[in-house]
Amino acid sequence: MKKYLAILKMQVINNLAYPGDFLGRSVSIAVFLFIFAGLWQTTYIIAGTASINGLTFANMMWYLMMAETIELGRPRTNRIISEQVKNGEVAYILSKPYNFVLYHFSFGLGDGLMRIVINILVGILVTWLLAGPPPSLLGWGMALITMVGAWILHFCMMALIGLAAFVVEETNSFELIYQKFVFVLGGMMLPLDLFPQWLQEIVRVLPFPYMMYAPARLFVKPEFDLFLQMLAGQWFWVGVLVVLLALAYRGSEKVLTVNGG
Amino acid sequence: MTAIEVNQLTRAFQSKRKAAGLAASARALFQPEYNTVEAVRGISFRMEAGELLGFIGPNGAGKSTTIKMLTGILHPSSGGARVLGFTPWKEREKLAFQIGTVFGQRPQLWYHLPAIDTFLLFGKIYELDDRETQKRIDLLAEAFEIRDLLETPVRKLSLGQRMRCEVAASLLHRPKLILLDEPSIGLDVVAKQHIRDAIRRMNQEEGVGVLLTSHDAGDLEALCKRVIIVNHGQIVYEDKVSNLKRKHLTTKLVEVRYAEEVPANFRLDGVEILKVGRYGVKLRFDTDQTAVDSVLAHLSGVGELVDITISDPPLEEVIAKIYREAAPASS
Repeated sequence: MKKYLAILKMQVINNLAYPGDFLGRSVSIAVFLFIFAGLWQTTYIIAGTASINGLTFANMMWYLMMAETIELGRPRTNRIISEQVKNGEVAYILSKPYNFVLYHFSFGLGDGLMRIVINILVGILVTWLLAGPPPSLLGWGMALITMVGAWILHFCMMALIGLAAFVVEETNSFELIYQKFVFVLGGMMLPLDLFPQWLQEIVRVLPFPYMMYAPARLFVKPEFDLFLQMLAGQWFWVGVLVVLLALAYRGSEKVLTVNGG
Repeated sequence: MTAIEVNQLTRAFQSKRKAAGLAASARALFQPEYNTVEAVRGISFRMEAGELLGFIGPNGAGKSTTIKMLTGILHPSSGGARVLGFTPWKEREKLAFQIGTVFGQRPQLWYHLPAIDTFLLFGKIYELDDRETQKRIDLLAEAFEIRDLLETPVRKLSLGQRMRCEVAASLLHRPKLILLDEPSIGLDVVAKQHIRDAIRRMNQEEGVGVLLTSHDAGDLEALCKRVIIVNHGQIVYEDKVSNLKRKHLTTKLVEVRYAEEVPANFRLDGVEILKVGRYGVKLRFDTDQTAVDSVLAHLSGVGELVDITISDPPLEEVIAKIYREAAPASS
C-alpha cells in the first residue's frame, strides 16, 4: 500500500514543480462560474420566480461550482495511458512491481486532489461573491463523502477508455463522447431536478448521475434519504465498473504492443 | 546457474498496410489489409547468472522485442522463456523485484523533478526500507559519480548525466539481472566510457547479470564477454567476443612511413593498396591469404622504415560482414 501512497505523493510534488502553471489552470473555474451566473441570473429573471423546481439562484450556483470542481478534478487517466502507449513509456510502468491500474489510480488521485483543492478554494471565493454564502456544513459533509465514490467512478470509466489505447492508441474521441454523457445525463449542465419526470427515471438507472449530480445536489440540499440512496447506487456502480475494469485489464494486457519495438 | 533461458521464442505483429492516396485510404477503412511482421523468429539462447551478454543487431532486428518479452511486457506468439526462474509474462510483478530495466530512448526518471525524488519513490515501489534505500543511493551515487546531480531537476541534466542516473536508478533494488536496451545511444565518447565503467563495476562487485542491446560495437568490446548477434529476428551468431575477434578479424590495416620517397610503382602481391603517398603507404590484407611476415619483409625491403602501425578494422565492420553473410535469401 505504501508504494501507491508514494506515487500519489510524487504526483503532488510534481504538480508543485510548476506552481504558476498550476494556479493558472484554476482560472478556468472562475471563468465558467461567471458565465453560468450570467446565464442563470437571466433565466431566473425571465421566469419571474425565485425558485425553479425547488432550486434558488444561490442553490444553482453552488451546485454548478461543485459540479465544475468534480469535472475539472476528475482523472485524465485515458490521456496518460494513450501518451504512455504512444511514446513507449508504458514499458517502464509495466516492468515495475506494482499493479498497473492501481498505479494509475494513485497517479490520477495525486493530480486530482491538487486540482480539487485549488478549484474548491477559487470556486468558493467566486461563488460567494456572485451568489452569497455557501451551503451548510451538513451539505459539505455529504458532498465530500459522495465525491469519493464519484471520483472512483470517473476513474474506472477513464481507465476503461484508457485501456482501449493498448489496441487503438488514440482515445480522445471516446473521452469526448463520455464527457458529453456526463454533461447531460450526469447533471453537470443542468441539475436532474429540472428534467421531465420520465427522463429523470431513465437517467437514474445509469451510472452518470452518481458521478456528478449526487455530490452537487447533496451539497446544496442535504437530505438524508437521498444521501443513502445515492451512496448505495454509487457503490453499486463502483462494484460493477471495478469488475469490468479488472476483466478489461486482463484482456488488454495480452494485446499490448509497445511502440518502438 | 542460469539467469535466462529462451526457447524458440517468436513474436509476430500485425500492421495495417495501405497504398498511397485518398482512394486507398477510403478503401482501407472498409477492407483493412494486414501485414504480419515476424519481429522475433524462434530465438533460443541461455545466459548464466552474473554474465555480461551483448545482444546486438541492426535496427528492427528484434532486439527490443526480445527484451520486452523477457521483462514480461509483451506476450510471445509462441515459444517459452524463463528469467530467474519465472515465466516473465505470467509472473511479471514477481520478476520485476529481481530485474532492472533501462530503455535508453525513454526516461524513467520523473522529468520535472530531481533524480533523488525518483530514487526515493523506487525505494518505496521495490519495498526497501528507508535506511536501505539511502545506503543504496549513497553507493550508486559514488559508483556512477552522480552525487552532485541528484538534486538537479532531470530536465536540466545533459543526456550523459541523465543516462548515468537512469542506469543507477535501475540498480537501486539490487537486481540480479539488468536489461539495458541501448543505454549508450546518443552519448559522446566520454559519457559512454563513464557508463561502461560503472556498469562493469556493479557487475564485478554485486554480480549483477547484464543483458545489453546496442548497435555500438564499442559497448560490446568494452563490456561483454559473450555476444549474440541477431538479424531479421533470428540469431545469426553466438560466441565469445574474443572468438569473434579471432575468427572474423582476419584483415589487418597497415600504415608505413619511410625516410625516403616511396617509389611510384609500389606494388605488393596479395595486398590491397589503399593509398600511396610521397613518404607513406596505407594497405590492407587478409591474414588467411597473405602471411604477415612476408608483408612486413617486403615493406622493410622498400626502404628505411620510420614508423609502422598495424591495426584491426573496427568491430563494426566485422559485424556488418556477419549481417551480410547471414542475410536470408527470402528477405
